[in-house]
Amino acid sequence: MSAHATMSMRDALYEAPGPKTRAKIRIGTAITSVLVAALLGLVIYQFWKTGQLNPRYWSFFTWGSTWRYLMAGLRGTMTVALTAGAIALALGMFLMLGRTSGIRWLAAVCRIITDFFRGVPSLLLIYFFFLVVPQYGIKMSSFWMITLPVALAASGVLAEVLRAGVNAVPRGQTEAALALGMRPFRVMIKIVLPQAIRYVIPSLISQLVVVVKDTTVAYVVSYPDMLQNARVLITNYDALVSTYFVVAIIYILLNYAINQLSIYVSHKTGARVVDRLSTNPS
Amino acid sequence: MTQPIIELKHVDKHYGDLHVLKDVNLAVDKGEVVVVIGPSGSGKSTLCRTINRLETIDSGEILIDGEPLPEEGKELAAMRAELGMVFQSFNLFAHMSILDNVTLGPIDVLGVPKAEAEKRAMDLLGRVGVAEQAHKVPAQLSGGQQQRVAIARSLAMHPKAMLFDEPTSALDPEMINEVLDVMVDLASQGMTMIVVTHEMNFARRVANRVVFMADGAIVEEGTPDEFFDHPKSARARDFLDSIKGH
Repeated sequence: MSAHATMSMRDALYEAPGPKTRAKIRIGTAITSVLVAALLGLVIYQFWKTGQLNPRYWSFFTWGSTWRYLMAGLRGTMTVALTAGAIALALGMFLMLGRTSGIRWLAAVCRIITDFFRGVPSLLLIYFFFLVVPQYGIKMSSFWMITLPVALAASGVLAEVLRAGVNAVPRGQTEAALALGMRPFRVMIKIVLPQAIRYVIPSLISQLVVVVKDTTVAYVVSYPDMLQNARVLITNYDALVSTYFVVAIIYILLNYAINQLSIYVSHKTGARVVDRLSTNPS
Repeated sequence: MTQPIIELKHVDKHYGDLHVLKDVNLAVDKGEVVVVIGPSGSGKSTLCRTINRLETIDSGEILIDGEPLPEEGKELAAMRAELGMVFQSFNLFAHMSILDNVTLGPIDVLGVPKAEAEKRAMDLLGRVGVAEQAHKVPAQLSGGQQQRVAIARSLAMHPKAMLFDEPTSALDPEMINEVLDVMVDLASQGMTMIVVTHEMNFARRVANRVVFMADGAIVEEGTPDEFFDHPKSARARDFLDSIKGH
């Protein structure tokens, strides 16, 4: 199913290769394979030459305690990412509704907030919650000092993703609902949003990858996420390269899983969208 | 005759420099079927859409049952609920079943209990011949079936008049008649209708009055026989000549 879908996407973008093109592709594949193998060899050689393959740097990964500690960190990462994602989604929804409300001052305010959070680096927001907010006597746990800024940074992007979805719903859907005598806000909730969310579910899930990556700056506030725990391991075992190597692979697997989820969801909802566009001209 | 159900007085509208409606005056009485024809870009769709304020107007007046068309809010929504509208592109709610499409207005706008709304919806779907499709989604229906559902959706609101904005223009030829048949039926039951269309046979057969528009203005109007057999204006003669012989 997914292989078939990928094929048809490629077919849509490129014409089928002829004999000369196929020959070129074969040569290109061969050269690339050699280069990748050489690079990999070089990496392993460097590891070996600098002593990074020494069992001392790797053996503690066979201990259960190491993994329990890393997994506790992964749990921290996931808790922050999911909480921040949920808050960002709710906030992004409010910002988008405000911006598309047609009420001029509200739209302007929401637009400024959206652009602000989209434009400010999340690290700056984290420093704000870590250094500035406590000065006003507001005490926050390290969990919220990392979760809130990550959520705020993502909310701006999610507001825009949702707005793109709303704009993608054909105008006729709104007109038909208005013609029935529905009020504009009701039309948004009952007719436009349910369809808009279906369009953008894959983008919303992909945005979770960005949130997961943003959580890695949790070390600034000493929240025990996976990267923070990795740093503790590094200090204890004096094994920088091997630990970062393992942790990077865990992050890659996590984000790969999230991307696979969004591809799965987009296939489930995509077919219906395509059907609809082809039978409902506007 | 009492006052007209729909009345437009000196309606003007511009899109930037383009003058799309020029001093349009039109009165439609209860039970009347008015067919609006004219070349594309003549403003007929715009005219149709101003009547429930999907398009605003620059000046002039639109009266529904003698009351000025409200400009916003609850009052506008209430007025729209009394006017049925059928679009060229059907615009069925893509994420809802056929049945839900038809019951949404009555339940959500009129506050009709669900069971009652569904019963009436099934009656209406039966009347337009798509009752078996009630639990499918719009994308699973042909264009002709979708448009008949759209008509049922409007009728479910008990409208006092129906606006048809080129209801058959997006249909494959073999599906045009199934939609026109429903409209003929509706007209024979006394529904007040304004129909923008290119279907000349329908106009001749069903219309009480034909309104011919060109370049944003109503050029002439009359009974179908007068208009098709003895057009008064050169503009109308040209138009009729250009579509003849097909």
